[in-house]
Amino acid sequence: MADQAGAQTTASPRTAVVIGGNRIPFARSGGAYAYSSNKDMLIAALDGLVARFGLQGERIGEVAAGAVLKHSRDFNLTREAVLGSALSAETPAYDLQQACATGLETVVGLSNKIKLGQIESGIAGGVDSASDAPIAVSEGLRRVLLDLSRAKTTQQKLKTLATLRPKDLSPNAPTTGEPRTGLSMGEHQALTTAAWEITREAQDELALHSHRNLAAAYERGFFTDLMTPYRGLTRDANLRADTSLEKLATLKPVFGKSLDTPATMTAGNSTPLTDGAAVVLLGSEEYATANNLPMLATIVDAEAAAVDFVHGDEGLLMAPVHALPRLLERNGLTLEDFDFFEIHEAFAGTVLSSLAAWEDAAYCKRVLGLDGALGSIDRAKLNVNGSSLAAGHPFAATGGRIVASLAKTLSEQGGRGLISVCAAGGQGVVAILEARN
Amino acid sequence: MSGVLTTDIVLPGMPSLPALYRRAVRHAAVRTVRRASPPDVLPDVRHRVHGVVADLGALTRFQQLLGSAARDTLPSAYVHTLAFPVAMSVLARPDFPLPLLGMVHLSNEVHQGRQVGAFEALDVVAWTEDLRPHAAGTQVDVVTEASVGGERVWTGRSVYLARGVRARGDDAATVRRDDRRPAFDPPVPTGLWGLGADTGRRYAAVSGDWNPIHLSGPTARALGMRTAIAHGMYLAARMVDEAVPAPHGALAWRIDFATPVLLPGTVTTSFARTAGDGGGSGGSVVEVVGWSAKRRRPHFTGWVRAE
Repeated sequence: MADQAGAQTTASPRTAVVIGGNRIPFARSGGAYAYSSNKDMLIAALDGLVARFGLQGERIGEVAAGAVLKHSRDFNLTREAVLGSALSAETPAYDLQQACATGLETVVGLSNKIKLGQIESGIAGGVDSASDAPIAVSEGLRRVLLDLSRAKTTQQKLKTLATLRPKDLSPNAPTTGEPRTGLSMGEHQALTTAAWEITREAQDELALHSHRNLAAAYERGFFTDLMTPYRGLTRDANLRADTSLEKLATLKPVFGKSLDTPATMTAGNSTPLTDGAAVVLLGSEEYATANNLPMLATIVDAEAAAVDFVHGDEGLLMAPVHALPRLLERNGLTLEDFDFFEIHEAFAGTVLSSLAAWEDAAYCKRVLGLDGALGSIDRAKLNVNGSSLAAGHPFAATGGRIVASLAKTLSEQGGRGLISVCAAGGQGVVAILEARN
Repeated sequence: MSGVLTTDIVLPGMPSLPALYRRAVRHAAVRTVRRASPPDVLPDVRHRVHGVVADLGALTRFQQLLGSAARDTLPSAYVHTLAFPVAMSVLARPDFPLPLLGMVHLSNEVHQGRQVGAFEALDVVAWTEDLRPHAAGTQVDVVTEASVGGERVWTGRSVYLARGVRARGDDAATVRRDDRRPAFDPPVPTGLWGLGADTGRRYAAVSGDWNPIHLSGPTARALGMRTAIAHGMYLAARMVDEAVPAPHGALAWRIDFATPVLLPGTVTTSFARTAGDGGGSGGSVVEVVGWSAKRRRPHFTGWVRAE
C-alpha cells in the first residue's frame, strides 16, 4: 500500500507512550495547600516533572490540563502555568474540563494527537483546590452590577441600585450538587449503593484496602519518582496507615440518611475534599527514544460514556460501567485479559456498585445489551497502590495520578491495565494501558 | 576592608524592623539637635543572624502579591526581604554615620549560585562598605550574604544615597556633577504595571517593611516625599519574576532606580531577551526598563541573567 496515494491516511496511527509522571502530595481541604491557588499547584507539579525529565527550556508539543473548581480569572489556567514554569514559552496549552474525568481525558486527547503525528510530546494533567475555591457574587448582585455598568444617567444608576435586595449580597460558593437534580454527589451515590445492596462492611473493607495499599506503596518507595514534596507535605495528608475496620466502623453515616434502607456511606468510605495537582509526560516512541527517556506503558485506547441519571435510568456515577464493555469489544478483550484495575474510588460504593453491575447477568443483558455478565474482577488486582479513598481526590488531578501510577506498575510487573473514572453529570471515561513488553 | 579585624556581632534573633525604624527616628531627632559629626567612617562590624527560615504563609503571600508561583523556592528578592532586618540593624547603629530615614535606594545587584529552598535555614550576615561622595550627597554600599551550612548561596549589594550629607573635606564642587541627564529614549513597551494607591501597604504587609514613605501620601510627605512611592524591592521582585519566572539554577540581577514610582501610578515596562553570555551555557539575559510614558522618564533599568 506504500505506493497508494491514500497510504498515509490509512496507515496505522503511531504509538503513544507514558514516559513518566509527577504529582504533589494531596492535601486535605484547608490543610497544607490552603493558600495555594490552582495555578500554584499546577506549576509545582510541572516543576517536578520538568526537573525529573530535564525539560527546562523545551518546547513540548502541547500541554493539556484543567480544574473542576475554577476561578473565572483562570480562563487560561494551563497556558498561564506553562508561562510560569521552566518549559519553553513556545509550548502551547489548553484547558479541558470534564469534571472528575478531566485528568484522564487530557491523557486521552494528547495521546490521540501523538498517535496521529500531530505532536511528538505532551503533558497532560489536572489540578483542583477545594480550599481556594472560587466564590461568586449572587445572581441578583451580578445582574445589578452588569446593569449598573450599562446605566448612563445617575437616575438610571439609582434605579438599578434600588433593585438590589439584601439577600443578593450573600455570595455563592461551589457545591458538589448536580445542577439538574439538586442532589449532592454523595446522595446520588447513596441511591446507587442502596440499589445494589452494597453493605457498610464491604465499603469499609474497600476503604481499608485503599489505605493499606497506599501506605505499602509509600513504604516500598513506589512514589519516589512520581511525586515532589510541596509546602512541607511529603505524603498524601489523607492517608491513615493505621486505620482499621474497627475505626472505620465507628464513623457515622453522612449520605443516604433519608432513604428507607440503612445509611452506609461515611466520611471513611467516601473521598474527602482535597487539594492537589498531577501531570503526566506523554510522547511518541520516537520522541522517547531520541531523548533517551523511559517508556513505562503504551496508551492503547479509551472510551467515554454518559448515562441518564436525571430520569432515574441509571446511577449518577455508573457511566464507566457502560463505557467498559464497548471498550473491551472494540479491542477484542475480556476482563480476564487485565492484570491491574484502577477504578477511581469516588466512594467505596461507586467501585462496589460497578463491580456488582458487571457481575450481574440480568443487568448486563438488559442495560448493557450484553449476552451475559461482563465478568468479575479479582480484588487482588484492584487499586494495588491505593486509590482516592486513601490518597484523596482533587477532582481534575486524579486522572494524572492514576495514569502515572498504573504506567509505573506496568513497567515494573508487565501486563495490561484498565482505568475507570466516573464523573459528575453522569459521565465516565475508561482507558487501557499496556506494558511495553 | 581596612586590615583591622572586623567585629562580628551575632544577633540573638531576627531584629524587628518596626523597632529599628523607631530607633532611626530617635537618632534623627538627636542628630538634628546635636549636629552629628561629619560622616567619614563606617562601623567596622558585621551583623549576623543564624538559622533564618522563611514562614510559609508569609512566603506564599509574598509570592502571590508579586505574581510569582507559590513554589517551594524563595524568590531571589524574597531572600533580600528575609535578610533586610539584619542589614537595617547595621544602618540603625548609633555609629552608622548617615541618617537612615530618608536614605534613597539607588541600586541592587544580586548574585546567587543556586536556588534557595523554602525550608532551608539561612545564616545571614550584613555590613556596610565603600562610603563615598555622590553628586547629590554621600553613598554607601550595604552588602548582605545568605549561606546554607557554610555555602554562600546569595549575595546582595544595595547602594543607598544620603542626599545632601557630605563628609568632611568633601566639597560638592569636587564631585563631578552630571546634571544633564542623557535624554531618555524609551524602548518598545511590552507591558504595563498598574499600581494602585495601596501598592505600598500591600507590599509592606508581605515584606514586613513598613517604611512610611511607601504607605500613604501623608506619611510620605512627613518624610519630605511628594507622595507615597513604590518600594524599590517591590519593583525589583516583579522585574525578576517576570524576566525569569522559573529559575532553576544560578541567577543574577541588577536594578538601578531613577525617578521614584509615585502611587497610584502606571509603569510602562519593556522586557527584552538578549543573547546569552556567549559562553554557550544556555543562559539568557533579559534587559528590563520601567518608565513613565506620561512623563517620558525612566523609573528603573535592570537586567536578569539566568543559567
